[in-house]
Amino acid sequence: MKKKGILSDIIVYTLLSVAALFTLFPLLMALMNSFKSNQELLINVMSWPTELHLENYVRTFDKMHYTRSFLNTVILSGLSVSLMIFFSALAGWRLCRTKTRLSRFLLKLFIFSMLIPFSSIMIPLYRVAQIMKITNSVVSLSFVYAGLGVSMAIFLYHGFVKSVPVELEEAAAIDGCSSLQGFFKIVFPMLKPITATITITNVLWIWNDFLLPLIMISDNKKYTLLLSTNTLFGQYSSDWTAILSALILAALPVIVFYAFFQKRILKGISDGAVKG
Amino acid sequence: MKKIIAILMTVCLLFSLAACGNGGTQETNSSVPDGTKNVSDSGAATDEPREAELNIMMSFPQFMDQWETYAKQFEAKMLAEENIKVKVNLEMPSSDQYESVLQARLSGGDAPDLYTLHCNNIGTYNDAGYLYDLSGEPLADVIYENVKATVSVDGKLLAVPIESQAWGVLYNKAIFAECGLKAPDTLSDLTAICETLKEKGYTPFLLAFQEQWVPQLMTGLTLGGIVSGKLPDWLERMYKNEGSYDEVREIFDVIDLIMANGTDRAMEEGSEAGAADFAMGKAAMFVQGTWASNTIMTTNPDMQLGVFALPINEDPGCTRVNLSTSTTLAVHPDSKELDLALKFANYVLDENDSSALFQSCSFNPLATCHNYEAYSWVSDASAYVASGRAYQDLVLPSSVTDEQGRLLQEYYVGTVTVDEIVERLDAAFQAANAQN
Amino acid sequence: MKNARKRNLSLLLYCLPALIVYLAFKLFPAISGMYYSLTNWNGLNKSYEFVGPSNFLELLTDDYFWDSMWFTFKYVIVSVIIANVAALTLAVAIESCRRAKGLFRTLFYMPNMISMVIGGYMWMFIFTKVLYYLADNWGWSFLDHSWIGDPNYSFIAIIIVAAWGAVGYLMIIYMAALQGVPANLKEAAAIDGANAWQNFWKIIFPLISHAITICVFWSLNSGFQVFDVIYTLTGGGPGRATQSVAINIYQEAFRGNIRYGYATAKSTVLFFIVLIVTAIQLKLTGRKEQEL
Repeated sequence: MKKKGILSDIIVYTLLSVAALFTLFPLLMALMNSFKSNQELLINVMSWPTELHLENYVRTFDKMHYTRSFLNTVILSGLSVSLMIFFSALAGWRLCRTKTRLSRFLLKLFIFSMLIPFSSIMIPLYRVAQIMKITNSVVSLSFVYAGLGVSMAIFLYHGFVKSVPVELEEAAAIDGCSSLQGFFKIVFPMLKPITATITITNVLWIWNDFLLPLIMISDNKKYTLLLSTNTLFGQYSSDWTAILSALILAALPVIVFYAFFQKRILKGISDGAVKG
Repeated sequence: MKKIIAILMTVCLLFSLAACGNGGTQETNSSVPDGTKNVSDSGAATDEPREAELNIMMSFPQFMDQWETYAKQFEAKMLAEENIKVKVNLEMPSSDQYESVLQARLSGGDAPDLYTLHCNNIGTYNDAGYLYDLSGEPLADVIYENVKATVSVDGKLLAVPIESQAWGVLYNKAIFAECGLKAPDTLSDLTAICETLKEKGYTPFLLAFQEQWVPQLMTGLTLGGIVSGKLPDWLERMYKNEGSYDEVREIFDVIDLIMANGTDRAMEEGSEAGAADFAMGKAAMFVQGTWASNTIMTTNPDMQLGVFALPINEDPGCTRVNLSTSTTLAVHPDSKELDLALKFANYVLDENDSSALFQSCSFNPLATCHNYEAYSWVSDASAYVASGRAYQDLVLPSSVTDEQGRLLQEYYVGTVTVDEIVERLDAAFQAANAQN
Repeated sequence: MKNARKRNLSLLLYCLPALIVYLAFKLFPAISGMYYSLTNWNGLNKSYEFVGPSNFLELLTDDYFWDSMWFTFKYVIVSVIIANVAALTLAVAIESCRRAKGLFRTLFYMPNMISMVIGGYMWMFIFTKVLYYLADNWGWSFLDHSWIGDPNYSFIAIIIVAAWGAVGYLMIIYMAALQGVPANLKEAAAIDGANAWQNFWKIIFPLISHAITICVFWSLNSGFQVFDVIYTLTGGGPGRATQSVAINIYQEAFRGNIRYGYATAKSTVLFFIVLIVTAIQLKLTGRKEQEL
């Protein structure tokens, strides 16, 4: 028993270490080379930097308008997800509790579009935004994201509410709570696990989304981090040190976020996937 | 019933909140960034200056700094001369996305006041009604006639030319001098040059095929040479579905020569990296326009850069440089600040300031107000033009141009033959004809 | 009866905010997109004509589109298999670890946190700079290929990057499923003396078949829409060699002679193909799940 254990341990740990190296390789290479001078990088990409050229970072930080782009991204993902949660918790809960033909129809209506590829709605969506005069605004874009995300969120809430005993709400109603009060006081707190899941998956989606902000936001004062990074490629396409330091800067917030909340995030991801 | 009212109210509240949020953030947005807004100019002018905004979209991310400076100068000039406090919003999407962003903006009715577009698209954009006729503007009088022709349709000047050049093959004059070589006139000259260079240990051509537009330049040059030298009606017939790429297949003689004598790993080499490598002497020649000179000269300020026309066959009459205008600036006819937009368009070719701008971006002089000294590589090309060995860039349907780039990439990696290329390009041309 | 109407009314009110944003930003664009597929709009002109099904008829003989469809199928098959096998292997390996379980899990999920735009450019650096360096200076000549330029190798490069970005997510799902397998079952199998492989197939595999359904469904779905990775690495090139359907549609809608109507016709076809393939998959794996 024990002997076999050691042998398989060796195999398992070797396998995992190789895989870990592969996973980290691009990140580490980008990090290591981002501190070099361009000359040094062109000569040898595998060496440690002889000195830390922090000016690469200072320059890209400046060029990307990092603070501003960062705040824009925070506002965008925060607001989008709040709206999405609020809208879909109400709808998902009510859809689950009402058993009429209409509720079945609405649920189907919400869910059926989940498979529509984004590319097929991209330009019509942009036209809608134009007609409503809501392009170039981070706040309005949040509503668009909410619209794109509610399907999945309603689906998840709908499934979760099923497992919340209806008796509690009925008890609250008898105590004189209106149905809406009952929702906020009793139901919503009980939905916390699924709310966390929805928050995490959607924050990550919106944070990392590129194409939609690209077409919706053209004023560079409202650029998200990815958009700012992208403009940099055009400017420095032959200077890898600038590009790599921009990539690291753009990846940094999610990495830090991940470092602090990884347990929650991983749980949220697996819950979201299994229930979806 | 009570419930319903409660819900209704929440919904209303929600939307009013959202509406407030909207207004509120916009305010904070404008006050947060940059801190450039200076409110302390009280009493500076007796008349309160009118405030205005000008949205400009440009495909020049590599010249962001230069254009931002220029926009600032324009703002200052407007404030001083017209008492208008203009705020110029420069948008520079990366060149990859530029066209898609521009089109979405134009068709969505949220057009910028001014925008850059490629010269070859002037026709299409004009048909769609997105170009203001600039013929009556002061700038029309200063543009060189041969350049003006490239940006005019039916005698109407539709855009301000910004990048215009005579171009062919870039070469490293130092290497050529060391090997005792001179610019070729025929294909056999070029073959001999390649042999000599290889004997001396140099790689003849730099290949940077990662972006499709770079290999496409080879078709651009060779087709232009052949058509102007011996098949003047070819393009016209192509547009009538009466021609074929089979008639011009000899262009592959020189393309084969270039590909066989080029640097390795061409598909991993982007245009900018290619220019940098060329500047460092990795190869002696580079099929690339003079627009790359900026990167080349920043990478290696001592570079001795020259231009020669690409020979296609044994007829020196087909060996010509390409005269073309690439980037132009257009004014949108529905601009809310049309007056200001026109002022900016004129300012781009301003008598006093534009020379400095054009020089800092290494653009070629294209108007009488440009009095700076041309670079050596520009005078090389001008010599061809002066002796009549030049042609106007062929205007092909843009889907055909794209297809040429793609097919040359495939030809390089060996997945298509010349016969297949001829067949596919003919089909692409006919498809484009069918559409228009 | 009256009660039902009242309930429906209150239901509608609760759904209203969600319904408004959903209709405005998803459903309406989707439907108007399908309408555009019946027109000859070029995305630029103000006017266009209704042309009926002619876009769809043209599509039938569009070799480039079907080439890209073929490429996408090839990509989907290879990437679904590789990503899922790798994810399941990692999940099993981590589950059998005594130490550092959390560390590995955290590590392997890391790429999923980063946008594929960023990841793609990082890999671009690896493929265009680092691998050549290793080939030239460390003598690792097996790396000396045109990873971006040679269609055979760029296919591999795309698969590698796509797997790099997807494995962590799939692994998390598999791990959750494995944790649901009762410990006594795992032990029972071990004591049985059955070798690990048989143990896995006979006992564990049936119990995680639901996770397999989810993972295959997810990777099929995202595989058919693959865009970011190819866009950043090869842009669909050389030529059209690595053009996925999404890239083909994007180029039709945004490059060269723009034909927006035609491009939306393509997206409509893509939508139905995805629908059919995933329906078949769910049916197949669903049946399998029930048999087990």
